[in-house]
Amino acid sequence: ATMICIDNSEWMRNGDYAPSRFQAQADAVNLICGAKTQSNPENTVGVMTMAGKGVRVLVTPTSDLGKILACMHGLEVGAEANLAAAIQVAQLALKHRQNKRQQQRIIAFIGSPVKYDKKILETIGKKLKKNNVSLDIVDFGESDDEKPEKLEALIAAVNSSDSSHIVHVPPGENALSDVLLSTPIFTGEEGGSGFAASAAAAAATGASGFEFGVDPNVDPELALALRLSMEEERARQEAIAKKAAEDTSNTENKDHASSSNIDSVMAEAEPASNAAADDKKEQPKDDDDLLQQALAMSMEGGASGSAAAADAAMAEAGAVDPDLALALQMSVQDANMSSDSDMSKVFEDRSFVTSILNSLPGVDPNDPSVKDLLASLHSQGEAHKAIGDLSALAVFTLGRGICLNS
Amino acid sequence: MAAASTAAAGAATPTPAAPAAPVQVPRGQVDLVDFIDWTGVECLNQDSSHSITNALKQIVRDDEGLYLASDSDEQLLIYIPFMQVVKLHSALFKGPEEEGPKTVKLFSNKEHMGFSNVNDYPPSDTLDLSTDHLAENKPATLKYVKFQNVRSLTIFIEDNQSGSDVTKIHKIALYGTTVDTTNMKDLKKIEEH
Repeated sequence: ATMICIDNSEWMRNGDYAPSRFQAQADAVNLICGAKTQSNPENTVGVMTMAGKGVRVLVTPTSDLGKILACMHGLEVGAEANLAAAIQVAQLALKHRQNKRQQQRIIAFIGSPVKYDKKILETIGKKLKKNNVSLDIVDFGESDDEKPEKLEALIAAVNSSDSSHIVHVPPGENALSDVLLSTPIFTGEEGGSGFAASAAAAAATGASGFEFGVDPNVDPELALALRLSMEEERARQEAIAKKAAEDTSNTENKDHASSSNIDSVMAEAEPASNAAADDKKEQPKDDDDLLQQALAMSMEGGASGSAAAADAAMAEAGAVDPDLALALQMSVQDANMSSDSDMSKVFEDRSFVTSILNSLPGVDPNDPSVKDLLASLHSQGEAHKAIGDLSALAVFTLGRGICLNS
Repeated sequence: MAAASTAAAGAATPTPAAPAAPVQVPRGQVDLVDFIDWTGVECLNQDSSHSITNALKQIVRDDEGLYLASDSDEQLLIYIPFMQVVKLHSALFKGPEEEGPKTVKLFSNKEHMGFSNVNDYPPSDTLDLSTDHLAENKPATLKYVKFQNVRSLTIFIEDNQSGSDVTKIHKIALYGTTVDTTNMKDLKKIEEH
């Protein structure tokens, strides 16, 4: 059995909660009543005012939601709230509840300043505890320095085994009722009622506290899918950013030629579509052999720049564009690279290159970085990569092409 | 009645606060703990870690370490419904010398009383416990005539021996007899001839 104490004092005219404090309060009260009556058909809720015409019980505890909502109409705002008297009257109303086995609870909305001492509030709290009445406080509206402390002291005096709660709601965008939805005042001891959860979901579609606007309670799979794709995208973006950073750093220091890097990355790349590249290079199609040669080349030639560049390209896993862009850039910058004559001719055919680029998944020929590189590529006439079906493989073969030909 | 109370007085061993001290159940009476309806037992102003079951239930109540303690102030209001109608003969309270109960008011068949209306009704009986009562396992005899037809008992503990803020009770035992109501388990099918 619950008694809700409404603060309808003059302080409730203020508009810092939209549309007015009183209206926000009324919405919250309606929501609480609905939640309580729906969570258990035997629950009873009563409503009383703390100010206005005085401390009055508007409706004694009943399970009839219509009656409760009706009594909220036509409430006037005025006078000052009398908290002590209100709590006493609420206690009395609860004492005379029909079903004596119900637990007694008072929910007080306190929007006006609290003029009582802490001591008095603590005595009130003790009396409530003695009579086994739980108290929930919604602290909103006026907030002077001591109000939160005083109310916390009151709750501490009443609280026995965590059955009493206090919620401080500062003025802001979120409606009072939305903020309350997630608090223990709603979820209560039953551990969440269906009504509260669904109301939370409905409220969550707008400016919600949930990620992606989907309540995990309502649709867990969708929420999970959204979260995963968001993370993937984030990882991709990070990889791109990292590569862009590495680009600049690699062109400057070309000194790390760790073949192990090449090894690991080469091991990763799919050997399947090597064929295209291999044909042009007139080399044995066996991966390992090519690998050996590449290694040998990189050791002998001392073209550390190319090896490093290849490293960098191949050490990056993941996104397509950056690999390609990087490889292109490296090939452009390294003047020692000689191109396989066949391949260079092929690549000088701009349209051919564009068409091949188009066929690559994930490569957008309109991407400015790709465009720039293509332009520089052709101007210097040093394109010498094979573009395979898989772009990762393309990098791999590109790298190898560079090594082999240097 | 007199015989019962002298038997109790004579047989009570005067070892204070010894858990093994045997309680002499008054002759002809039974310990009514078996007839208590546990689902309905309530205690207002109890400390949640020291609850009423510590004082009432069969095994734990004899353990000195487990006791019933009051919370906000020294008063306690205990409501005990019975499964059958009983007659109460005597009640035993056991507690520490200082924080044990002093003035105890008993109300029969009054449901759901609160602290605010305990003083509105005259109690069926009032016990003024002394430290002897608390220490010696001596049941205090009640006004038998007032407790002939008891469905539920409300025990209001108004204050304690030393006037401290917390009242502690180690054990509450009630002795009496059941009124001859039908015990459903004894009902047997009449054999056909």
